[in-house]
Amino acid sequence: MAGSTILELKSVNKYFGDFAAVERVSLSIAEGEFFTIVGPSGSGKTTLIRMLVGMDKPTHGDILLRGERINDTPAHMRPTCMVFQSLALFPHMTVGENVEYPLKCRGTDKAERRRRAEECLGLAHLSTDYYERPVAKCSGGERQRVALARALCFDPEILFFDEPLSAIDYKLRKMLEKEIKDIQRETGKTFVYITHSLEEAMIMSDRIGVMRDGRLVQVGSPREIYKAPESRFVSEFMGEVNILPVTPADGKLMCEPLGLAFDPPPGEAIRAGSLIVRPEDMRFVNGEQPTNTVIQGEIFNEYLLGSRVQYQVRAKGVTLLVERLRDADTPDRNIELSFAPEDSMLFSE
Amino acid sequence: MSDSIIRRLLGVYVTLIVTCLYIPMVVVGLASISRSRFFVFPIRRTSSKWYESTFSSLQVEEAVWTSIIIAFFVAILSVVMAVFGALAYARYTWKGRKLYQQVLLIPVFFPQAVLGLALQLWFNSLGVQMSWPATVFAQLVWIAPIVTLIVAIQAYGYDASVEEAARDLGATRWMVFKDITFPLLGPGIFSGFLFAVLLSWGNFPLAYFTSGADVTIPEWLYGKMIGGYTPMVPAVGFLSVVAGALALIIGLTIRSRIARVQ
Amino acid sequence: MTDLTNKSVTTALSGSSVLRVGKVPTGFWYALPILALLVLGFLAPMLLVVLYSFMPRGTFTPWGSPTLENYIDIVEQNFYISFGWSLWLAFLSTAILLIVAYPLAVAIKRAAPNRALILTVLIVAPLFVAENIRLQGWVLFLDKAGVLDGGLNAMFGVGTGSLVTNVPVIVFGIVYIYLPFMLFPMILGLSNVPPDVREAASDMGATRWRMFRDIELPLAAPGILIGSLLCFVISLGAFSEAKFLGKGVIVTIAQDIESAFTFGQNWPRGSALSVLVILLAGSAVYIAMRRMDLEKMLGRRE
Repeated sequence: MAGSTILELKSVNKYFGDFAAVERVSLSIAEGEFFTIVGPSGSGKTTLIRMLVGMDKPTHGDILLRGERINDTPAHMRPTCMVFQSLALFPHMTVGENVEYPLKCRGTDKAERRRRAEECLGLAHLSTDYYERPVAKCSGGERQRVALARALCFDPEILFFDEPLSAIDYKLRKMLEKEIKDIQRETGKTFVYITHSLEEAMIMSDRIGVMRDGRLVQVGSPREIYKAPESRFVSEFMGEVNILPVTPADGKLMCEPLGLAFDPPPGEAIRAGSLIVRPEDMRFVNGEQPTNTVIQGEIFNEYLLGSRVQYQVRAKGVTLLVERLRDADTPDRNIELSFAPEDSMLFSE
Repeated sequence: MSDSIIRRLLGVYVTLIVTCLYIPMVVVGLASISRSRFFVFPIRRTSSKWYESTFSSLQVEEAVWTSIIIAFFVAILSVVMAVFGALAYARYTWKGRKLYQQVLLIPVFFPQAVLGLALQLWFNSLGVQMSWPATVFAQLVWIAPIVTLIVAIQAYGYDASVEEAARDLGATRWMVFKDITFPLLGPGIFSGFLFAVLLSWGNFPLAYFTSGADVTIPEWLYGKMIGGYTPMVPAVGFLSVVAGALALIIGLTIRSRIARVQ
Repeated sequence: MTDLTNKSVTTALSGSSVLRVGKVPTGFWYALPILALLVLGFLAPMLLVVLYSFMPRGTFTPWGSPTLENYIDIVEQNFYISFGWSLWLAFLSTAILLIVAYPLAVAIKRAAPNRALILTVLIVAPLFVAENIRLQGWVLFLDKAGVLDGGLNAMFGVGTGSLVTNVPVIVFGIVYIYLPFMLFPMILGLSNVPPDVREAASDMGATRWRMFRDIELPLAAPGILIGSLLCFVISLGAFSEAKFLGKGVIVTIAQDIESAFTFGQNWPRGSALSVLVILLAGSAVYIAMRRMDLEKMLGRRE
């Protein structure tokens, strides 16, 4: 899957006045990779992709495409192409005219344009009947596919996506996420995708880069990001987590609000910070031997999350989240909770 | 060509055009301080005597008052019509709306000299005396639709559901209008008023054909330009430019205040 | 928003008096004052002009026996010359305005909001100064011993002589006076070109020219069309430019109409000439109305 490096960023910075929108981002993306940059709004991901596409220039640092510096190459001179957040379809043209536009720019003849356009429509799961249809008459999902087909028709070396699915309803979004992934597998192209949804990133990507305040805070495979987040920010970004503020006390981690001390995660030095436990790693103690200090609590709410159930548990005024598979036995109101030290993460910040 | 060269060229072009727009105003200002009866450049001797004779001229004074009175009535009346006209334009959905939106534009898109003459003919056959009220009416035909469009832009710009919310909370229709609609339309109404005053102040063709014995400033200027140049023409012209500019600056300042309060 | 329509209707001016009208929608009542104004101040006078145009020469009442003689006179007495001049001037000015205004519109569209506002104010402001004054300013600038000629003479000893009293200067005057009428619809039109659509085209490899032809022009077309028609129609009625800058070198249709009404004391002839202008202007406006979605253009906020 991963071949030689196609795109390399060397300490890329982008300043707007004094404000650093992107700061010291270094990264290399391999040929044929599906790389996703994920971060909350304002984290600089859109600024970053605009530089990668060639619509903005970095203030400092270099962007290399196959080893060649392309900082100052404008978008239309680069062999890359982007699917816009707004899709940016040409509203006065038909689907066909939209899709074959990149070929028209290159002066390809009409018959060949049509042939390629229909091929790309097929890749994006649109029938060739759409060729003559005005873009204005297409539904939201069809427009997504037209935008995708248009970008494919460009035949880019790297295909960029700027949150194209953010305005779509849940069901369609899930479907398109998988389709985009399929197309990437089928064409073997390098895709660089931007989103604020880690869930989306997890589904599609080979590797993920998490951004925060203009910096790339962690890069890794979806599994690595999930299993070994390097900061509290990344772990929280993953979804709802339990955060216990802790201080060192007698070789253990003391959580003042709960009045309890816990064993540290294996290999972690005892220090002040936040102890993070995912809801699915919180366990009800059902007779078995607890692996860590037991927390006494009271269930005051439960939510059905598809195949899972989430319980809100109150312990000494602290609200903890516990998730487990939906099964027959409902736990008692008053319960005991515990978590394995190896399922917890300790961050200093 | 690179983007930066194009941007620089555009900048030069814009500066050139805007400068051109103001050449006549500057020239008029220059001509008004030339001492000689006929304007010759470079000016040999300057003099303020044309301003003195302007300020002591009863004709000019009368023309200024006529212009002000007409502008005042035109502005008030057109704003009142425009507020309702704009709501009908932008806010309510009703059967004839599309047609109404189109009809409203016709007087704006029309040669004014022809409109002025047609109105003269019309007043004549109705037996209406040509005088400043007739001019107010004539200018309203042209200015009220423009003001309506300006207010309509504002009316499009705010969320109509706030009116429904107010209604829902128990406000009467009048209260909704007074407390919600009117304040939200405020900046648009003010711009419309300003436009009406300035357009009326500078309008010549409609006044020319309908004002009869009453003379506005543009008419007075026209008369002098046709009947024989005197440097009072640029003097009055320049004063009129200054008055318009002052009104515009004061108006824009107030408007930005209003906008900031909101 | 629409469900207010069929409820009770208030004459909101007075507030206290609630006038209940069953079926008539609120929008209509709100539109009524201005519609009444247009019926009384526009439609009726225009109909009267049409009526007068069929009256015998030199009559001062619209109730004589109808005749076509005024229209025949127009053809026989060479009025079509002034008509032709007006059409030619309007056409030429509109074409020049298109070229002059486009880069300006693009520049304003691209400028930062603050700067765009300042530019807009600077361009609108001259509209509020009577046309006569501005034209007089140009006469004083361009005439023999005016600012240009006199200035060049004083500096280099060579002047331009008089640049007024010719046809090109009339066109220049019209272009000068009506620039904002072309510019602002054009800017509205350019607002219909979303920036990311432009970027997408550029990303696909569109050159500047291709972008202009394939993306900008088609999307901005409604605004450009409106601006052109607007300029065409009002410059059809231009007469101050020919009078002051041209100093009578040609006679436009509006001047003919004016003199028929004033010196000529021939209202029916003036009316017949007006009817021709109305027809021309009317058909241009009609085309504009059919083509544009003004509501969408005005409603669009940035």
